[in-house]
Amino acid sequence: MARSVIVSGASRGLGLGIARRLAALGYTVIGIARRRSDELASATREAEHASTGMIHFRPFDLADLAGIPDLVRGLRREFGSIYALVNNAALGTSGVLASMPDSEIDRLIRLNTVSPVLLTKYVVRSMLADGGGRIVTIASIVGFTGYSGLSVYGATKASAIGFTRSLAREVGRAGITVNAVAPGFIATDMTAGLESEERERIVRRSALRRLADIADVSGAVEFLLEDRARNITGTVLTVDAGSTA
Amino acid sequence: MNPTGEAAVLTRATPVRPAIEAQFERVAKEQGKTLQPLSDDLVLADSDLDSLCFAIIVARLEDTLGYDPFGLAEDAAFPVTFGDFVAFYETRRPGVADVPD
Repeated sequence: MARSVIVSGASRGLGLGIARRLAALGYTVIGIARRRSDELASATREAEHASTGMIHFRPFDLADLAGIPDLVRGLRREFGSIYALVNNAALGTSGVLASMPDSEIDRLIRLNTVSPVLLTKYVVRSMLADGGGRIVTIASIVGFTGYSGLSVYGATKASAIGFTRSLAREVGRAGITVNAVAPGFIATDMTAGLESEERERIVRRSALRRLADIADVSGAVEFLLEDRARNITGTVLTVDAGSTA
Repeated sequence: MNPTGEAAVLTRATPVRPAIEAQFERVAKEQGKTLQPLSDDLVLADSDLDSLCFAIIVARLEDTLGYDPFGLAEDAAFPVTFGDFVAFYETRRPGVADVPD
């Protein structure tokens, strides 16, 4: 029976890339996002035709914190054991802290930090009952390097790394691995606002003189879900073409 | 959760205690703990089970019994003895409190 993997924020960008990749490898992907994008609908059809793994879309607004326990219970009833959770959904709001609206700061922390922590809590409970599982959280190199205009985003990504390390220690004995993947700047809707000059600067400073892309990051997630990654936990896999090398 | 993915159907007569005892014993074995005999006055802190063990027990009991009394009453203090633990499940069983004996 195919292993089920929940991917949050699966409607576009990196989440969509991860969902496509995992489905192509035979996983049953449960994609969560507020709305099904045309790209996700097309990925779902492709997966059906390819007869590898399926992509199931379940609409949910991850800012609805009170709804998360029932979301996970429902998914478990529908799909049985959850093998893995990929915490990918996040806002990439940029702005100078001194002038960022308080409501925006609250929204960013709620979606990027509180929501994945709660989602993980309820999925981990199900993994504890089942005797194992994999958690992968998408962090960012901004969680450990500075970037002007991303202080709140950076705070949420640093917290994802701290969460990963401590949770790995907490649930390791129960056969659950917990890791983070820290992408550098990759071409997605989230980074579309970057000026080309800024992009050039990042490329120039990276060891490999290029940007990592969605396939690179999806490949890292894929690896962390494989049996051969069973002894890797509490770590951060950086995929940034050497930006932080 | 049973293999069909459905939560167990509880009736008034379904005994909670054997399900709890079975999970204590199973988790102790899996986690390499030496479980003390399960008497009502056994203090849970002295049972050799730790907080992760209890998290596993509660998660599995939710599958077996269909409810999580700790989730239903988040502010409730964790039971002190094994007897308190069983009573916690018995008294917070959905629908049971409203049914007269």
